Amino acid sequence: MIASKLEFKSPKDIEEAVRFYREFQGEAVYLSGGTDLVPRMKLGLEKPKAVIDLKRISPLTTVEDQADWIRIGALARIFDLKQNELIQDFFPALEASLEATSCESLQMRGTIGGNLLQNSRCLFYNQSEFWRRSKGFCLKMGGERCNAVPGAKTCFANYCSDNAPGLSTLSAELECTGPDGVRWLNLEDLYTDKADKPFNLRPGEILTAILVPKKRTAGGYKKLRVRGAIDYPLLGVAFSFVDGTGKLAVGAVGPKPYVVEMKKPPQDTIGEAVKAVLKQVRPVGNTVLDPDYRKRMISVLAAKLVNKVMEGVK
Amino acid sequence: MDRKYTVVGTRMTRTDSLAKVTGRATFTADLKLPRMLCAKILRSPHPHARILNIDTSRALALPGVKAVVTAADAHGVKWGVFKYTQDHPMIAIDKVRYVGEDVAGVAAVDEETAQEALDLIQVDYEPLSAVFDPDEAMKEGAPLIHEQYTNNINVHVHIDVGDVDEAFAKAHLVREDTFHAAGEAYSTLEPYAVVASYVNGFLDLWVPNAGPHVRAKALSNLLKIPLNKVRVRHINVGGHFGSRSEVSPGDLVTSLLSIKSGCPVKLVLTREENATCTRQIHDIQATIKTGVKKDGTITAKEFRVVYDGGAYSSTGPIAASIPYYVYEEAYRFTNVRYDGYRVITNKGIRGMYGAHGRAFLVGNEMQLDMIARELGMDPMEIRLKNGLNVGEETATKSSIISGGLEEPIRQAAERAGWKEKRAALHEGEGIGMGCVAIMCGFPMGFRSGSACYVKLNDDGQATIVTGICDTGMGNESMAIQIASEILGIPVEDINLVNADTEVTNLDPGAYSQAASFVGGNAVKRACEEAKRQILSIATAKMNHPVEDLDLKDRMVVSKTDPSKSMPLRWVVREAFFQGKPIAATGAYMPKIDFQREWIKNPYGQMAGTYSFGCSVAEVTVDKETGQIRIPHFVAAHDCGNPINTMAVEGQIEGSVQQAGVAVLTEETRWSEGRLLNADLLEYKVPLACDMPEIEPVIVRSNDPEGPFGAKEGGLTTRMNAYSAVACAAHNALGVVLNEFPLTPDRVLKALDAAKGGGKL
Amino acid sequence: MARCKVTLQVNGKSMELDVKPSETLLETLRDRLELTGAKEGCGLGACGSCTVLLNGLPTRSCIALTAELDGAEVTTIEGLADGTELDPLQKSFMEKGAVQCGFCTPGMVLTAKSLLNRNARPTRQEIIRSMSSNLCRCTGYKKIIEAVEAVSSTESPKK
Repeated sequence: MIASKLEFKSPKDIEEAVRFYREFQGEAVYLSGGTDLVPRMKLGLEKPKAVIDLKRISPLTTVEDQADWIRIGALARIFDLKQNELIQDFFPALEASLEATSCESLQMRGTIGGNLLQNSRCLFYNQSEFWRRSKGFCLKMGGERCNAVPGAKTCFANYCSDNAPGLSTLSAELECTGPDGVRWLNLEDLYTDKADKPFNLRPGEILTAILVPKKRTAGGYKKLRVRGAIDYPLLGVAFSFVDGTGKLAVGAVGPKPYVVEMKKPPQDTIGEAVKAVLKQVRPVGNTVLDPDYRKRMISVLAAKLVNKVMEGVK
Repeated sequence: MDRKYTVVGTRMTRTDSLAKVTGRATFTADLKLPRMLCAKILRSPHPHARILNIDTSRALALPGVKAVVTAADAHGVKWGVFKYTQDHPMIAIDKVRYVGEDVAGVAAVDEETAQEALDLIQVDYEPLSAVFDPDEAMKEGAPLIHEQYTNNINVHVHIDVGDVDEAFAKAHLVREDTFHAAGEAYSTLEPYAVVASYVNGFLDLWVPNAGPHVRAKALSNLLKIPLNKVRVRHINVGGHFGSRSEVSPGDLVTSLLSIKSGCPVKLVLTREENATCTRQIHDIQATIKTGVKKDGTITAKEFRVVYDGGAYSSTGPIAASIPYYVYEEAYRFTNVRYDGYRVITNKGIRGMYGAHGRAFLVGNEMQLDMIARELGMDPMEIRLKNGLNVGEETATKSSIISGGLEEPIRQAAERAGWKEKRAALHEGEGIGMGCVAIMCGFPMGFRSGSACYVKLNDDGQATIVTGICDTGMGNESMAIQIASEILGIPVEDINLVNADTEVTNLDPGAYSQAASFVGGNAVKRACEEAKRQILSIATAKMNHPVEDLDLKDRMVVSKTDPSKSMPLRWVVREAFFQGKPIAATGAYMPKIDFQREWIKNPYGQMAGTYSFGCSVAEVTVDKETGQIRIPHFVAAHDCGNPINTMAVEGQIEGSVQQAGVAVLTEETRWSEGRLLNADLLEYKVPLACDMPEIEPVIVRSNDPEGPFGAKEGGLTTRMNAYSAVACAAHNALGVVLNEFPLTPDRVLKALDAAKGGGKL
Repeated sequence: MARCKVTLQVNGKSMELDVKPSETLLETLRDRLELTGAKEGCGLGACGSCTVLLNGLPTRSCIALTAELDGAEVTTIEGLADGTELDPLQKSFMEKGAVQCGFCTPGMVLTAKSLLNRNARPTRQEIIRSMSSNLCRCTGYKKIIEAVEAVSSTESPKK
């Protein structure tokens, strides 16, 4: 049961959606597939006054070849995207991460925009209201302390999008439409680096498209999880080789993907790239599996992935 | 297929599956009764605290709230499976002992109102120091959780046979190892739910249970309502695996709400509540010492096992004994000492589980492999050498009347290609074996037996009435199959009334591996008696010797002369005429030693018979990531004789998930008395893509006591699959694996420890 | 709280519903329409017991808001059989022993149904991939996969 009382709005276009948002003075949320939002509402992590459904706004679901870019509508479903020929031909890292996302049924429901904008996660945070009240609210809930790392003053929740690392290696850009109009930003600029509030979105902004430079790439994605489906990544490593340069991105071990441009040739500079990532990441005990292990697997998965992809390139 | 029988031994489509594939099988949460209210429970936010005061007045005043209950509405009775473990009031009286404990209940017109009412109940707590680790809990000065359990030791099971110390002194080789496994969650897909309806002194209850009679008795005691007025009704159960056997706080609270409100009340637990506020599975630490002769004969065994029991005793003595028993039932121990300590901690309550005991059982089997390697023996040979055979006795004096360990080992090994595969392993590959034996029935005093009634209607169809309980494994279908075989009528002619305390007679329930052996035997005897009645009427009506008559295809037939036959229904009608309707009772009490007691006297015949099983797992390990895959799994289970081959396979295959793959993935994770992975996302129940290719092997030993030779239908796999996988991983890695589950981080830790000079 | 008017086709029958905005499809099916075949196993979309077909696709109804589904077609397990004529998948699940406690069964059957509607002859790996969306605690999945395989190798699916 979703305990809160709320209103439901079904706008027919972006303008109407933004208008509804304004109407509720910011206490509204946008709904795409609902696979992140609805569980959060059920746990009482999100108590909006209104839910604004974006799914009736049709141009948001298409994939278009725009000469220099492939434009991916933010409401395109994961399942549909992974079967899209343009994505399969040009962006194997993205195809791999789409396939690795969750499970088939949830891929049919979840959208790429929703996947990117999923809230960060932590074993001590993604709990029922009863659990969290009994423990005491943490930093991410507006409380005074971190429950996962005693004494910590910053939030350690993990951003677990499977597709963000791959899109990062593809130098993706985002198109956002909001009360102040349309703006474009690099995917990397979406992230605040603060796990309690991970995204640099302005109030009322809607992620409307993801734009990927249309270049043939080689690439892949390796996901660390306990089971072979459903689970969020405990570590996600993506790699793309485009225009003779390799780009590595590591996700699920912090509030954003960590992206490194690799020196050439990539198969010889893996250690250096991984070192650059390791300097930045600090996984803690807020997931299943030991954090030191997850950190250790960065170099293992990066090496396996880069070598496999570069072998295919030769 | 066994050609001796028509229906028994076939791959019969289960009689309950039609309702299930059409969505028409009713589970407790599906029930809707007129005027039914919705219940919610107020739970303790503290792991350990005194209750100073509860004020329910504001909740009662909320429109739509029809009743609020606390311990003041109960009778202060403390329940326990045994008299000496009566510690659980089901609704907290003066103290709470775990986060999630039931403190108050609300019944309201809808869920929202009930939820709102919970927030209006004011409870004043005085938090107390809590203890979460069993070793810490046993220390002097640890917070005392129950007055009656000194050092928080709930039970201490002590078994001593022979002269262990002398045997160790004389042994050629002695090894001691300690193993630890995290607790697990049953993860039945159906979360707990209760519908209680109290009308005119009668309490009707629908609840997923594994034994309605013991449930009714417990509630009768708790509520001080006469036993005949507590009626636990038949309902479908969405999985059990040991979690539904005892009375649960929700049963009492919902009943109290119904009594107080005068309306039926439904309580449906969330998945989180199901994981934290019903039963869970024990964390276990097992120290195992084994002494052997040069030829691999086990001469001495010593065990010290600590079970983290959570806040109340639940099945205490049983849980603290079973892992030992299923092992001593498989192997010959002439000198053995077992000390099992079940310890109380401020966590959710732990109960019995089909896959119980993994630290202990894996530890024993892995240690046996290490001993075998030191002696230059094949792990299969050392098991054959020490495995029990028919005619022998277990260390605590139970006779084996059928089976023995040898046949399952040989059949599993052959099907798995044990010898060939062991000789041809590549880097990162391993193969391992796990063995166990299972008692068909726990000693449960007068409740160890089962009784069944049969009646024939005037069209020649039958109704079977039995206490046999089906929690998903197919027991209902099994009862009908047995009846069909004996009465010579097809399955669709047989109705079943089962697991309803008003109608059905006592039965041990579905949690001690007794349904086929005990319950099935009672059904068989009842039907044989009905058959005797039928033939005694038919012999006169047909003017044909009774010894030559049989029942087949709805007819009474001559065994030797096919032209002589008579429709069964004619005989039934004749019986009515004579004032002797075909109505029969059959009962079966297993031949056990009723003086045997879990703590006071753990010796004597424990069960009527034992099943035996051996599993062989093949694994591949990635030494860089520590990830283990199980490409292939063979499980041989001696069920005596399968009543339904497909159902036995189903038990074996389900066990491979619950124990075999689970040993790689499943653990409950705790932080200061709070469960971190109460949901089905972070608690890792294996998925279809995680499963190995499974080959179930049914071993037939034709038990002399079991109905059609049958024994229990598959639990050996549930208790040896983890051993097989762990031993295979050990074989692949060459290092001791002491910590379970074998998640990849633990595997790498073990490899690192070995490189750093850790013990191999 | 303003309510929402939603027109749904449920098992071929069109119905106009007046629902709470916060109401999930599972609640609508079970509480309002008394179609209790879809089950609540976890309430958070992790187990698949609540799976129904939404416009032909397997969907976790416990995390779908009914308000967002105006105009949608919903098929529940109760709508799979054609009168008393069972769907081949239902028959196959029964015959192959793929049903034990039955709690996951409606979700499993519908997930398989959607797969076969989209791909009449899936490979074993494709079946496993689809069915890995749903948890089962009883069967170990083996007979479930076999039940789906048996139908996929013999028939083209009914629409």
